[in-house]
Amino acid sequence: MSTQPELPLNESPLLAETPSRGGRTRARPVASWREHHGWSASASLRRLMSRPVGTLLTVAVMAIALALPLTFYLLLGNVQKMGEALGQNQTVSMFLQPSQGGSAAQLVAKKLRDRPDVAAVTVKTPQQGMDELAKMQGFSGALHTLEDNPLPFVLEVLPAQGVSADGVERLVTDMRGMSGVDQVQDSGTWRQRLEALLGVGQRAVLILAVLLALAVLLVVGNTIRVDIASRSEEIGVLMLVGASRAFVRRPYLYAGIWYGLFSGVLAAGFAVLVELSLADPVARLGHAYAGKLQIDVLPPWLLASVPVAAAVLGWLGARLVSAWQLRKAA
Amino acid sequence: MIRFDQVSKRYEGGHEALSQLSFEVASGEMAFVTGHSGAGKSTLLKLLGLIERPSHGVITLEGQHLGKIGRSGIPKLRRRIGMVFQDHRLLMDRTVFANVELPLMIGGMAPPERSKRVRAALEKVGLLAYERQLPATLSAGEQQRVGIARAIVAKPMLLIADEPTGNLDPTLAVEIMGLFAEFQQVGTTVLVASHDLPLIKRMRKRVVVLDHGRLVADVAAQEVL
Repeated sequence: MSTQPELPLNESPLLAETPSRGGRTRARPVASWREHHGWSASASLRRLMSRPVGTLLTVAVMAIALALPLTFYLLLGNVQKMGEALGQNQTVSMFLQPSQGGSAAQLVAKKLRDRPDVAAVTVKTPQQGMDELAKMQGFSGALHTLEDNPLPFVLEVLPAQGVSADGVERLVTDMRGMSGVDQVQDSGTWRQRLEALLGVGQRAVLILAVLLALAVLLVVGNTIRVDIASRSEEIGVLMLVGASRAFVRRPYLYAGIWYGLFSGVLAAGFAVLVELSLADPVARLGHAYAGKLQIDVLPPWLLASVPVAAAVLGWLGARLVSAWQLRKAA
Repeated sequence: MIRFDQVSKRYEGGHEALSQLSFEVASGEMAFVTGHSGAGKSTLLKLLGLIERPSHGVITLEGQHLGKIGRSGIPKLRRRIGMVFQDHRLLMDRTVFANVELPLMIGGMAPPERSKRVRAALEKVGLLAYERQLPATLSAGEQQRVGIARAIVAKPMLLIADEPTGNLDPTLAVEIMGLFAEFQQVGTTVLVASHDLPLIKRMRKRVVVLDHGRLVADVAAQEVL
């Protein structure tokens, strides 16, 4: 060889005998471990950035899969809140015929109070009803034009605690059969239906979230699998020069984490967009319900935890696939 | 240093690459393994790097029984062996420097010391000026020298090379073999598989001759004519 090192052989850092044979410096296992993590994280990020279109497509697919359950959760939360705003208690309203006066109303109220399945009865006079209406926006002007009070006596009946839905239904039927009764409105029935429906919705969101999390796992896994397959030569070389499986795997795990993190951030962004686009229509709806309604936004902790959870999913997908792929390579 | 004791290797499908091979290589010795193609030269080297496992027999390296090294112990063993391949096995998307740096990175050496060692190794093979280049821009002989720099950068106790001059013209081949001899001079045990008999004779080192997986001759360095 024509080129000789400038240092004498025995002083050259290459050939001098030191205890660190094999290139291993045992004094700094943590530092080198940390260094390789840093290297793996940045190298895998550079690799993703070197093919932006493919990376973006993968991230977008994952983000949509994550945004779907998030959006459904948002909608569900709002429907639930709407239901709560519209009927706080399961009261049954009994409208008496306009001909019925105060004494008749008190008589009916007493009959109802005597029943074991009734907890309380409130009698609302026509004047009270009028006052309530007057408080509502837009009505006061119209009410002034009325000569008489057209409102009937109304009895708000609160069923006793522990009375079943069937029991309430029997009570309503009995109430309808009483004399001087014009109409009985059971707000409980539709609330029960809404609640049952929301229960179905919640379960559906949960199932959807699990399925779509699985989809995210599969998308990440397959992307990493293709990546590993296309780099089998590199992996072979690394193993020949003494890389442990953990060392070889590390950049791929970081790639999974990056995919998850980016798609999680994008999904949270999607969800916020949906929120913003819903805010206006819900506000208008809220107006119609006397300002009781406001959009129920996703809590910040949930939005923040989406990228974290997605990163964990990405890592898991990469971990599962790489364990299997590398065993094949070895 | 290296001890083969009644080692046989039968591949799946029944082909017996090595049969009842016994020989020893002393620490700091340099030896050639030769024979026609299919004689078992590559298999012998693969057994040392645990790329393959023997079917029978015992191989010890520095007193360590290789058969007792489990899957998880293989990386550690390979870090103590420098391997050079005929097709050099470089990572074509990384610079010359990064390729040579790999074993040190895997070994966990600190970056400043790593650079020093990589530069020293590249200087040794005469390629310091090419450290920023990609291997594809180098000639076949230069690529092989990068492979050698990678093999020796971590100061392995054993350097093994499988047909390292197979793709090179005679002048380059002599240069490469000269490099191996230099590493032996500073205490590394060197084992080179080659079928290039004229070149081997020129080197005047011990020659182990295989034929159909059997040891047919073991010529000491002084006896090589």
